[in-house]
Amino acid sequence: MKKELFMKELEKKLSGLSENVGRLVSSCRFDLSKDGNYMSGIAFLTERYLGTADVVEVEEIIHGNPEAIPPSARKKPGKAPLVTPEPERYENIRLFEIECIKEVRIERLFASSILAARCADTDTGKETDVYIASFSGIYMAEMNSFLKETEAAVKNIESRASQSTKIPGDSSDIQDSLKRDASEKNDSEDRDNGRSGHDHDGENESGVPGLKRKRTIFARVMRYLFRYKVSVITLFVSYILAALVSLVWPYLSGTVLYDGVLAKNDEVLGEFGFAGEYFLALIVLVIAIAGARLLQLGITILQQVLMARVTAKTVRDLKQDIFKSMGDLSLRFFTAKQTGSLMTRVRSDADRVTDFFLDGFPFLFVHSFTIISTFIVMFRLNKGLALVSCVLLPVLVFLSVKLRPALWTLYGKRHRAERSVTTKVNDNLTGARVVKAFGREDEESESFAKKSRTLMTAEVDIVRYNNRFTILYNLVAEISNIWVWIVGVILLIDFDSINLGTLITFIGYVGALNGPLNFFSYIFRTWTDSINSAQRMFEIIDAVPDIKEAENPIRLTNPRGEVELSGVTFGYESFRPVLKDITLHVHAGENLGIVGRSGAGKSTLVNLISRLYDTDEGTIKIDGHDVRDIAFSDLRRSVAMVSQDTYVFMGSVADNIAYADKTASRADIIRAARLAGAHDFITAMPDGYDTIIGAGGKDLSGGERQRISIARAILADPKILILDEATSSVDTKTERIIQDSISYLAKGRTTLSIAHRLSTLKGADRLIVIDNGRIVEEGTHDELYAMDGIYHMLSDLQTGFLSLEEI
Amino acid sequence: MEDRDKTLTFFESEGGFLGVKLGDNTYDRVRAVRLFPFTDPAKYISIRVGNDMGEELSVIEDLAALSPEQRELVERDLDLNYFLPQIKEIISIKDEYGYAYFHVVTDKGPVRFAINMGGTNVTKLSETRLLITDINENRFEVRDVTKLTKKEQRKLDLFL
Repeated sequence: MKKELFMKELEKKLSGLSENVGRLVSSCRFDLSKDGNYMSGIAFLTERYLGTADVVEVEEIIHGNPEAIPPSARKKPGKAPLVTPEPERYENIRLFEIECIKEVRIERLFASSILAARCADTDTGKETDVYIASFSGIYMAEMNSFLKETEAAVKNIESRASQSTKIPGDSSDIQDSLKRDASEKNDSEDRDNGRSGHDHDGENESGVPGLKRKRTIFARVMRYLFRYKVSVITLFVSYILAALVSLVWPYLSGTVLYDGVLAKNDEVLGEFGFAGEYFLALIVLVIAIAGARLLQLGITILQQVLMARVTAKTVRDLKQDIFKSMGDLSLRFFTAKQTGSLMTRVRSDADRVTDFFLDGFPFLFVHSFTIISTFIVMFRLNKGLALVSCVLLPVLVFLSVKLRPALWTLYGKRHRAERSVTTKVNDNLTGARVVKAFGREDEESESFAKKSRTLMTAEVDIVRYNNRFTILYNLVAEISNIWVWIVGVILLIDFDSINLGTLITFIGYVGALNGPLNFFSYIFRTWTDSINSAQRMFEIIDAVPDIKEAENPIRLTNPRGEVELSGVTFGYESFRPVLKDITLHVHAGENLGIVGRSGAGKSTLVNLISRLYDTDEGTIKIDGHDVRDIAFSDLRRSVAMVSQDTYVFMGSVADNIAYADKTASRADIIRAARLAGAHDFITAMPDGYDTIIGAGGKDLSGGERQRISIARAILADPKILILDEATSSVDTKTERIIQDSISYLAKGRTTLSIAHRLSTLKGADRLIVIDNGRIVEEGTHDELYAMDGIYHMLSDLQTGFLSLEEI
Repeated sequence: MEDRDKTLTFFESEGGFLGVKLGDNTYDRVRAVRLFPFTDPAKYISIRVGNDMGEELSVIEDLAALSPEQRELVERDLDLNYFLPQIKEIISIKDEYGYAYFHVVTDKGPVRFAINMGGTNVTKLSETRLLITDINENRFEVRDVTKLTKKEQRKLDLFL
């Protein structure tokens, strides 16, 4: 409808032009001007021309388009359209002869697109790109079909010129256009799969730890709370105050009201100095009752404010401690634990622990206080009735002690089930490509179902078990209540050994016990849950980093970059050494290449130099100092490593490159990126160096990430540069660029590079071959090749492979 | 970084695009690309051949170093390249069925758009700076969240 209206208007306008433009074939609205502002425009196609015109709107329009909203979410039809058409007139009509157009295309800019055409000068035949129109994403679809029609028209004219007729919109044309569309789409880049795997519970969780252990855990959490002494003490005082007030209230509204004031008992009233003054006593009592209630309310508000504050702070402290400890731990810890499980610890365990300690623990105290003091008051009022109301309590205590250990086990079970479900989901998301490639969707789904079933069973078991508690406690509370009524009424009527007021006070007290008893029914569950969480958390906080900085570290202010290994033996498990008695001297400024089969120990060797692990035997020295004595900060500054598993942090590209040196200038960042061969792909991203990457940001391919890591290492400007398969994910052309940069960088720097592709190591001054944990060959390429050993074999295999590839 | 931008002379091509003369070479179609579009839009402008991220001819370190006419030519191309309306006022945000419908006033005029609630369509460029990408891949920027009224900030809270 709208479009037809436009076409009609436009046709009218075009027919008024001096030249004959021919019949109007198609049109499409666009919304951006050439200088990057919103505007209203229309592109149109006539038999002879492609043109554009500015649309002058009668009223101010709101840009954007309600129809851009997906049908599933679209609101009821009939709402007023946001774009109000009714154009008054067209201005600035620009016309391009279709005959001159060689090609039309849509070019995607960073946030908008332009329609451009390649036109040939009729006289000279010179071809130029011509700007036609630009538009936002809203008109993309419409513009695409307009483009197809225009392309068809261009082809039509061309073919007419070559005497063969073709109907516009011919199916083959459309097919061509479709093909074009497909090729215009961004080729999805080869995304690095990331690591997947680790599926099994690699973690020890003690089933039922001893009570002593639990006590220490408890005490430690308390220490966190007591960092906020004032708040916590105020809280406790307020809890006791609240308990006292709740104790006074039933007494006032029961015994004092009924037996004193309403029964006009001067004996009782005399105690308060109101003998004979019943009306005044009543007013004072009402005020006192109301006052007690108000006080209770005030205390509750104070408690909530304080609690919110202390909880938030404690959770923060706990999380920070865990995070910090994780940072201090050596790599060995992370390879042994599942990352998913670590995430749970930082996130939810801290919450759970604090929940209990602030929402549960104080009440444990308060409610115990309430129960005990209530009973004392009850015994003082009437021993017989008090006994009746508490006769069931021992049963309760006995049963809870008996039921609790099982609950402990059940919570551990649920945690493990939860974790395996999370891990499964995580694995399938990161490894989706592998799952699809091997067609294992059904099996995966089945195995997920199994894990979810375990989780479900665990949950149900817990609920079932908890129900026993709840039922038990409620039963005791209800029975006690009824019990007191029955016995009390009998005492009142038959024996007259009790006053009505006392009975009502008693009922009030029994009612007041309901809350605390109910609390005890679930507190054991939270207690168990939180101690369980706390235990897992402290496991991390307590884990002793096996790599520690020396007490009086040596400062390495101006390193030369000399590396010396003597008699180094190391194994991830002490009984299976990966490196055996390695002795190696790398001179300052030398470029050393390390070659060897997979699993020979190459990466392990370089990991030891940057002290990600410590040696079992032997020493590693940098500039003559044992790495164990060198200050961490100096060691990290002098040794930079680019490894096979690259990692990008959440943040902008520039931040990622400047990770080691936050003060780096923009020019330095760009230079590092250029040297790493990363500049071009970074520039091609809409936000350039400001593009947010990492979790929640743009996804980079493996090669792109590798190049960013190289740039990061280059910017760090280390004396010793370690490249561990640093260019394994980039193509040969990019590798060459990086190689050139590295050899440029290598001047005045010690470089250790590991590579499978021997061509990568062409620039090396010296090569060593590691096999089975030992250095077996050493020398230049030519020397090694002449040796006829492993290097010769590897070299032949690769050149043979390459020549095969070339055929 | 080496100073390579001295010999560049920009002009507007016949087709209305940005062109450049560099030494003996003339390029009818180049594209100006911001290397730091958010953090430093007026510096480090990469000049690339063609329309599709071709070879980099040079990087202009600071636009201010160009003559006013040259600068205007480059800025015009940048403005076209980086269409990014800034949200000045939020009239309403409604969320329904997984989509959020924005009605806002930008520096380029009033706009309505919809974003998908599920994804990461609201990116924090800094603590106070937001980039919003709608379902049509149009982008909008909130330069400084704190400049909005408290009421408007509350509406945005849904995404922060």
